[in-house]
Amino acid sequence: MAERNVDELKKIRDVVSQDLLGGRIDLLLGWEKGHYWWQSRPLFAAREEDLEKLTWDSFCAVNLSRYLLEELKDHQKVGVLVKGCDSRAFNRLLQDNMVKREQVILYGLPCPGMLDYKLIVHYAEAEPVGIVEQNGQVVIKTAAGEKTADRQQLLMEKCRGCLYPDPVVYDQLLLEPQGVKEVEERFKSIEELESLSDEERYAYWEKELSRCLRCYACRQACPYCSCRECFVEQENPRWQGRAYQPSENFMFHLIRAYHGVGRCIDCGECQRACPVDIPLQELNRKLIKDINELYGHYEAGLDNETEPPLLTYRPDDPAAFSEK
Amino acid sequence: MSTALNETKANWEPLIVAFCCTWCSYAGGDLAGTSRMSYPSNVKVIRVPCSGRMNPMFVLRAFQRGADGVLVAGCHPGDCHYTTGNYHGRRRLSAFKKLVEFAGFEPERFEVRWISSSEGDKFAEEMETITEKIKALGPNRKMRDARWQSVT
Ligand code: SF4
Ligand code: SF4
Ligand code: SF4
Repeated sequence: MAERNVDELKKIRDVVSQDLLGGRIDLLLGWEKGHYWWQSRPLFAAREEDLEKLTWDSFCAVNLSRYLLEELKDHQKVGVLVKGCDSRAFNRLLQDNMVKREQVILYGLPCPGMLDYKLIVHYAEAEPVGIVEQNGQVVIKTAAGEKTADRQQLLMEKCRGCLYPDPVVYDQLLLEPQGVKEVEERFKSIEELESLSDEERYAYWEKELSRCLRCYACRQACPYCSCRECFVEQENPRWQGRAYQPSENFMFHLIRAYHGVGRCIDCGECQRACPVDIPLQELNRKLIKDINELYGHYEAGLDNETEPPLLTYRPDDPAAFSEK
Repeated sequence: MSTALNETKANWEPLIVAFCCTWCSYAGGDLAGTSRMSYPSNVKVIRVPCSGRMNPMFVLRAFQRGADGVLVAGCHPGDCHYTTGNYHGRRRLSAFKKLVEFAGFEPERFEVRWISSSEGDKFAEEMETITEKIKALGPNRKMRDARWQSVT
């Protein structure tokens, strides 16, 4: 039980079922309910009856654009429901020439932010059995009764810092735009880490990264990780060893993050996908912060005209080392 | 970090890996040699085609396998044999240097310098400086591969 807005869902379903029936698209990428009420997983709807499972609630965090890479192999024209971050992920894929614009129809869904189940449990102080949302409030139902929390307090980390809740690219906008919203300070935790000593920072990362299972879920979820062969699987030379020890953990995490310079759209999908809660966003954002400070402000995925910072240069660029 | 890694040998000498671009910095090293200038034997030079060729994994691999300090040296901006390689390198290596520091490496452990083929004296000086700095810092234990045994 987690509906947010029945009217919105009806509107979305009407539009996409018309297009699917009319043959304008042969697959729709949307969301359906997962095993638990607080999970919404990707829905691959190729037939009218699949659309009955379509959902649009506060748990549709999964970025659907990433699935285009696979689905466009078997489908001619795919429709995708895109929140703000999904739309920037689409731009990212477009910029890397991984998808063709004319093969995709984007249905824009301005996004109120997705909720974090762990925070819901934390506020409920008991096992929640469902939620009801009204006017920016979330009523959490538990066996012991109800608890009300501010929606803002329950947002996923990736949504609390989201600068673009409205899709930046779409064919059809299905809901009312959210407009500019207040966000948490994006680089606060980065600045805190920067203020530590070298030893403290190394100890912090050694500990955090020690949990990494090398499952590569972070890479699978990421809209810029579309390389046909990833360095972690390359055999010759074999850059990434398989042992679980600090040297291999750092190798993976520093290089994965580095591959995102000027490409990471800051969607937080890597961190959301990570089963052991490694703060991957802190590595990504550190690079965004530095490259912006050095070479001018750039937001990946916003448009495809501005040149990404590592694809260009100016003769008088500053450097992070002495040029004497 | 494991205790075995933390033992400092009595007569420890730092190992410094210097990636030098073949057209300027490596030639600068050659000039230092033919001019009979000396620089510390702690520095092991690896020749790369251009500072723009530097893959950051080269740097991390060096740290994994025993380097106490890593230096990348290339042509001065404007003098790149391939015209723009070092301009791109400057952006990439700047971002990477900051990331390595964010991971907890002391800033002195990874450096970038521009050294031209006529700067034999600068080559020798830079190698001297980085060796002194790394000696003062002591052995690097960060990212060291516990399974790796140095052959020297
Ligand atoms: S690295 Fe993470 S935050 Fe950046 S684009 Fe990939 S999934 Fe999104
Ligand atoms: S981690 Fe790097 S090599 Fe691997 S898929 Fe992502 S961008 Fe490509
Ligand atoms: S998702 Fe998490 S555990 Fe898996 S490889 Fe990425 S950081 Fe490691």
